[in-house]
Amino acid sequence: MLRSRSNSVSRALLFCATLFFLLSEAISAQADSSAQPPSPEMHDVTDGYGRTVRIPVNPSRIVSLAPSLTETVYALGVQDRLVGDTDYCDYPPEAQKKPKVGGVINPNLEQIAALRPDLVLLSKEGNMLDTVRALDSLHIPTYATDAHSVEQIISSTQRLADVLNASEAGKALSDDLQQRLQTLQVKLTGVPPRSVLFIVWPEPLMSVGKNTFVADALRRSGAASIVDSNQDWPQVSLEEVAKLQPDCLVFAASHTGSSGNDFESVAHRPGWQLLNAVRNRHYAVVSDAIIRPAPRIVSVIEDLARQLHPEVFQEKPDNERPSTPPTSPPFIKPIASPSRVSARSSEVQCVL
Amino acid sequence: MRPLTLGRLLLRCTILGLILFVVVVIALKLGAVQVSLYGLGRDLIRVLLHQSAGISTDYGVIVVDIRLPRILLAVVVGASLSVAGTSFQALLRNPLADPYVLGISSGAAVGSIIALMVENQLSISPEFAGLITPFGAFIGAAVTIAAVYFLGRRDGQMESTTLLLGGIITASFLSAIIMFLMSTLSGSNLRGASYWMMGSLSSLPPSSLLYFIGIGFIIAAGAIYTTSSDLNLLLAGEKEAMHLGVDVPRVRIVVYLAASILTGLAVSVSGAIGYVGLLVPHAMRMIFGSDHRMLIPASALGGAIALVIADTLARTVVAPSELPVGAVTAMVGAPFFIYLLRRRLA
Repeated sequence: MLRSRSNSVSRALLFCATLFFLLSEAISAQADSSAQPPSPEMHDVTDGYGRTVRIPVNPSRIVSLAPSLTETVYALGVQDRLVGDTDYCDYPPEAQKKPKVGGVINPNLEQIAALRPDLVLLSKEGNMLDTVRALDSLHIPTYATDAHSVEQIISSTQRLADVLNASEAGKALSDDLQQRLQTLQVKLTGVPPRSVLFIVWPEPLMSVGKNTFVADALRRSGAASIVDSNQDWPQVSLEEVAKLQPDCLVFAASHTGSSGNDFESVAHRPGWQLLNAVRNRHYAVVSDAIIRPAPRIVSVIEDLARQLHPEVFQEKPDNERPSTPPTSPPFIKPIASPSRVSARSSEVQCVL
Repeated sequence: MRPLTLGRLLLRCTILGLILFVVVVIALKLGAVQVSLYGLGRDLIRVLLHQSAGISTDYGVIVVDIRLPRILLAVVVGASLSVAGTSFQALLRNPLADPYVLGISSGAAVGSIIALMVENQLSISPEFAGLITPFGAFIGAAVTIAAVYFLGRRDGQMESTTLLLGGIITASFLSAIIMFLMSTLSGSNLRGASYWMMGSLSSLPPSSLLYFIGIGFIIAAGAIYTTSSDLNLLLAGEKEAMHLGVDVPRVRIVVYLAASILTGLAVSVSGAIGYVGLLVPHAMRMIFGSDHRMLIPASALGGAIALVIADTLARTVVAPSELPVGAVTAMVGAPFFIYLLRRRLA
């Protein structure tokens, strides 16, 4: 048996003290080793968190931690300087070939550090604050974007272009986006918006709140979301939807093949037949780019407007310019509602 | 079973300590980024000699700044959780008790979610920003510990059954609050909260936090160790222990508070990592017997070993992505536990 308790306690304390010594040793060494910043030309900018960050004037090794930012980097034509992105960065397809640093909410810090980036791009909405802090403590410069409307997506694209030392490409891109939105807005002037339910996820039913850029995109494509919530991704009851009776359902299709929120699968769920939109098969499917705050959202807005208000686009069949960034409207399923279309076209003709 | 002597205690602890050391070195080598064993050894020696300027940058940042703090965190959290589990099992005389049975993790979760919610409203200087969530979680844990303590008293004394029931009720009440709060969160806050609930060691802890929980572990685990002989007698029953001269109320309070603090500290930096606090104490009991003088240090070392292994798997299995470490502890822990159980029955 042990001789005395105090003896055992002192031994335990000794053990713990040794452990603690090793621990503190390692940590103090860690603090020393991390203070060797590289010395390219740096400047201070304000990012989406409202903090001032010191970043290189001409970042040459960029890591993107959000699919929307990867898309923006490609849209700005500076993809050669992108050295890594996340597992979810699937657009444009070339982005999938970039070295991967893990997921959006749990990127692998080791992998990021191993790529020796001089700038890591994050999105305030998508990434975790912990990631930003961890990168800060590793002295890796970070820049976060934050956009809650289509307008802000365009302005933050412009700011990102400035940060990436690609101001001219950013100017051209944002001018183009603004102009396309302007053209669309002129077309839709006087066209009454259709009430829609945007379905993020059917079970449990999740839609978008009014303060999101998705709701703004819907508004700009001549649709009014029936969901009036301050939450960003509110859970909605089918009862409420049946009461408000949206004119049309809007789905975001994923080109990576998750078809869980497709019209057919939803239409056969119990209760959904209560909706006139389901019975009349009024639905629109747009690219999942609508839930990414990236320049492609303008193409989605145009696409959705065409689907919701085909009559407006009938006179001028196609005046889209080819210079626009990669547009992908592969999910155009016209809304099968001839009566409505004809009714609308007469209205529209009056307006024009 | 031969009686426990000082020599045997030290021998066993040394063996476990060596295993822990080997596991830590292997964990330092493994990861999403390849590191050579030679480079690793050279860098580690330089760190220990304070020659950090000589560390090659490739290894330096990854091994010293990312892996080492994370592994040290796993060591302290694993040790805390399994010592807390051992103590609660003895205190409540219930083999199903784990560090979370009394609702401490739920309390910490409520605290951390509230911290996540207010964090964006406050403007906090960057040095302290990383401490808000752990601080909120620790406050949540502390409030729960106090509430359960008062619920667990009957006639002015703490009683095991009342404590257990009070803890379980508190835990389910707090879970309801968590569900409510989660439904009001959105975007990255929601993801942050659910990630936190799964348990994760992936966010780099500020070194001040590592010191804090290291010191907290030493004090609390030391306090529990002073009661280890009393805990042995308590196994025979509370009345019997009292007749044998154990100051049962004092032991209860010391063990309850110390084990709760261990849990609260661990949970506030890592979220709710399950199974370590349940499986490791039982595994150690099957290997070393139920003498708490041996069991408590064995649990500390065993918990550290188990969590470092689990976290290394979490980091490497699907690299460069990561698994939640709580899923790994359950997936690896449960079959291992069944193996131990069968082997003992055979």
